[in-house]
Amino acid sequence: MTAKRDVAIVGIHATPQRRRMGKTVIGLMMESLNGSLDDAGLQMSDVDALIAYDFPAGNGEGATDGNVAWQLKQPINFVWQQSGASAVLTGAALIRDGLAEVVVIPAAGAQATDTEATAAYTRPGYEFTEWTGSITPAQFALQARRHMHLYGSTVDDFAYAASTIRNNAHINPEAMMFSRGPYTPADILKARMVADPLTLLMCSLTNDGASCIVLTSAERARYCRKAPVWVLGGAMESRKTSYLEAPSLDIINSRDKMMRGFERLGVRHEDTDMVMIYDHFAHSVQVQMEALGFCKPGEGGAYIREVMGLDQKHPVCPDGGNQGYSHNMIPYNFKIIEIVKQMRNEIIDLCPQSAEGIHTYDRSICRKVRDPKLSVACGPMTEGRHSFVLLEKN
Amino acid sequence: MHAASEPTETMMAGQIPLPVPSKMTEPFWAGMRQNKLLLQRCKTCNAYRWTPQVLCRDCYSEDYEWSEVSGKGTVFSYTVVHRPPLPAFKAPYIVAVIELAEGPLMLTNVIDCDPAALKVGDKVKVAFEKATDEVTLYRFRLA
Ligand SMILES: [Zn+2]
Repeated sequence: MTAKRDVAIVGIHATPQRRRMGKTVIGLMMESLNGSLDDAGLQMSDVDALIAYDFPAGNGEGATDGNVAWQLKQPINFVWQQSGASAVLTGAALIRDGLAEVVVIPAAGAQATDTEATAAYTRPGYEFTEWTGSITPAQFALQARRHMHLYGSTVDDFAYAASTIRNNAHINPEAMMFSRGPYTPADILKARMVADPLTLLMCSLTNDGASCIVLTSAERARYCRKAPVWVLGGAMESRKTSYLEAPSLDIINSRDKMMRGFERLGVRHEDTDMVMIYDHFAHSVQVQMEALGFCKPGEGGAYIREVMGLDQKHPVCPDGGNQGYSHNMIPYNFKIIEIVKQMRNEIIDLCPQSAEGIHTYDRSICRKVRDPKLSVACGPMTEGRHSFVLLEKN
Repeated sequence: MHAASEPTETMMAGQIPLPVPSKMTEPFWAGMRQNKLLLQRCKTCNAYRWTPQVLCRDCYSEDYEWSEVSGKGTVFSYTVVHRPPLPAFKAPYIVAVIELAEGPLMLTNVIDCDPAALKVGDKVKVAFEKATDEVTLYRFRLA
């Protein structure tokens, strides 16, 4: 491995993830931002860069560098709109070049307290999109169908992935869908159809909640409260904007870029353990395994059955993912937070002593991955924005 | 999943949200009112593009014209939506991506078609649907 241990994740936080919490987006965001700084042993005055999809604060004129600095009443070196792996990669680059020392990556979502069953984000408003009725599940059903057509993937593959991930949520007391399973693939297929071939249980949740990640340099990490998790690097590529351009399975076209990310770091796919797929819809597990280069396009359906279980080679989404843990509109950070929790041994499940870090590995109650050392977090990884980051245990 | 937006201003109870043209896209909707499917075509390299863009995606030229296309294409992908975003959408309905004969991919609906019979690769033809005096929509039927 050629990657350097020069940038670390030193703080993480996730608020409770619940439906209609009655809190504001900014309130949730600050709760998580403060929580992650506490976790790191840092303060707001240490922060010199902020990366978030949205920082709806201050004068209401947007998350620009000047507006954020004024609101926080302190200088800020850099403000950028991103989340998840793409944000961590960007923040790490700033730290490596000395342009920032403490980067915070908050993300929050809160639904309006309307009574509509369909979340606002599932109604893309673009002039050439909205009137077609192509809600978010339809956009990704189009991607799934194209994959079925080109590569022979099946609804049984999708149901296998969804049941595996949802069963992790079933034993995660922090998950939206805690204690709602267990599910068989047949249960997934029997659920109400939303956008053929995607049933309700193959889709993401919609809920409120926030998360935040704190990055810093190796030097500064020595003075933080907990052991660092190293940000080795990764890859990111954009090809279009989802909901504006027609879905076309463009994610597979990013495969070379993703594979070069592994090569550049001197990491072989088989050296990695956990893979936090951006599991917004059930087909995404096999599609992203293919796009990351874990297997060839078309091999993903068989491949996930060999690797994605908690005791298999590449456990996928032990937290329960977007489908079972949380989809707070901006769930990308959770892919990274789960890896950090697993590496720190801070996993809460139904093992009697999980709060003390003691696990049974009885898979009816335990979702702890055995000693993860080198893990992959995806996201954004959808239809147009494709990224992953490799994280290493100290 | 972040392309959240408010319902468009023209949306009314019981009606699907209709497009609001911009200065750049107004000629497209003017073409629709005459039952003509117009795409931007580059005056420098002749490439078609969709969705509307300021520059040619092939040669980055700013010069283009709105050019009528055949309205023919094939089904690139499709889905049957069972859970509509608003009651005005009568589910189930087919959302599809059509690969136009001229090249670009277009998000739309396939209408008057048994969802169980539809396949990727099926040939389709544009069908104009007048929604209001201002707005005619482009959907597709099996050819
Ligand atoms: Zn051109």
